[in-house]
Amino acid sequence: MRHHIENRIYHVEILPPKQDTEKLMDDLAAFTEKFNRVMASGYCACITDNAMGLLAFQGHECIEELGLEAKPDQVMIHLNTFHTKANLDEILATCKRLGIANLLVISGDGSDRLPKLSPADVGATDTAAVTSVELLRYIRREHGSFFHLGVAFNPYEPADHEDEKMERKLAAGAEFVITQPIIERNARVDALLRKHPDLPVIVEAWMSKKLHLLSDAVGYTIPEDTAFDPIATLKSLHLIYPKCGVYLSLLGFKTQYDLIKDTWVVEGGAQ
Amino acid sequence: MKIVVCIKQVPATSDAKIDPETKRIVREGVKAVLNPFDTYAVEEAVQLRARFGGEVIALTMGPERAAIALKECISVGADRGVLHADRAIAGSDTWATSYVLSQAILAIGGVDLVLCGKQAIDGDTAQVGPGIAAHLGWLQATYVMKVDDATATGLRVRRMHEDGYDVCDVDFPAVLTVVKDINVPRIPTLRGRLAAEKAEIPVWKPADIGCAPELIGLDGSPTRVVRTQPPPPRSGTTTVLDGSARDSARALVAELRRRSIL
Repeated sequence: MRHHIENRIYHVEILPPKQDTEKLMDDLAAFTEKFNRVMASGYCACITDNAMGLLAFQGHECIEELGLEAKPDQVMIHLNTFHTKANLDEILATCKRLGIANLLVISGDGSDRLPKLSPADVGATDTAAVTSVELLRYIRREHGSFFHLGVAFNPYEPADHEDEKMERKLAAGAEFVITQPIIERNARVDALLRKHPDLPVIVEAWMSKKLHLLSDAVGYTIPEDTAFDPIATLKSLHLIYPKCGVYLSLLGFKTQYDLIKDTWVVEGGAQ
Repeated sequence: MKIVVCIKQVPATSDAKIDPETKRIVREGVKAVLNPFDTYAVEEAVQLRARFGGEVIALTMGPERAAIALKECISVGADRGVLHADRAIAGSDTWATSYVLSQAILAIGGVDLVLCGKQAIDGDTAQVGPGIAAHLGWLQATYVMKVDDATATGLRVRRMHEDGYDVCDVDFPAVLTVVKDINVPRIPTLRGRLAAEKAEIPVWKPADIGCAPELIGLDGSPTRVVRTQPPPPRSGTTTVLDGSARDSARALVAELRRRSIL
């Protein structure tokens, strides 16, 4: 993942169509357009896995069924713990077949409709519930070094808990980190970078103006009347964290996409 | 094994409104979904077909938009769907509905097994499955939590009740209503959903399958709703987690994970 950062490759989040959509074909067409646009730009398309517990189609099946070209190293699939064992193995096998090696392994958000991996499913004997740590171990054990595995870092969680969990994630095989959205310098991200200077860290930039959603994501209330310019914030994050990559969540493909090519600016001028 | 799964499209809300005049649930303007309990019946049918071969047919009675619910069944493995829709069946109560469905099952022909969810989340009567069995004169087992065994002539099932379960042998043809414990319904794949989008759903009318006019619709419905009222507010319960903060937090996390919230 280090070369993504060095080559200024944005990680662009794409949400696959929801299961309950009443306009599936339109949504698939929109997904296709976004995916192909990201591929053509040379960025990395990051496809979510039932984000917020809302049932959606899986990224790997969208790519396969729609016949999309997943260019090498330009796709990242999110993979959480809310799957059946059979479904998990099918996702991993399909990703391998499609040459998709980048996975973001997360615990994820559940819902009534979603199954949950059991410890026995992933061969875990030391836990009551499967988290990203057990899922990482399973993927490493079953698939060796094929996959490049990333994990989430939440700077809004209690520090001792999150830091201890991060160490377990790294020990389980995580190779890179994507943070929760940050909109300014974050002391916890700074601490992570100091502790792991060689660890590729990708900070998440919030590209939506819907601050109530950002409040939900970060776990504290950001007043709705807060002045917030996503593009300006993105530029400032590059200056604050020049050695980090950037993950663009909820990017507006109609209004923002064409603007981001000029945003990866570091001290010394535009790149 | 030829299996019919009777399903229902229901309002996707727990905040159902009742029309004060008709005493019926207001369905207009409310997003509709496949009755959640029926997803377990569909899954069990698909699993039985995988083990023993045969065909799974999803059947419903309702407005034409109920075809969407049938397509959802096809997207998770049902072979085809049949919609029974006609103005003449409007206002049917559970007895008239189960009569129409039983006639449709006879019209499909050669059916070994009928599966239903234990109840629909809108009416909550749990009467249609047993009603179908009564109209057909078939054996029935309600609240089935597991199919232990199946042969060419019948099933051995576990029937859940408050104190445990009964093991019952049920000869074909039979009607089962199933509970959530029976399986984990699969989530539609995109491939399945795309195939379902293309599926043709035949629409049957009562006259097509020999329904007696006096047994359907309002005329065929012995139920008269004389009054409706909302249920009392659900009373919450509080569980106090004893112990240290760490132990309490662990217990809370474990419980949230058990409920698939985390």
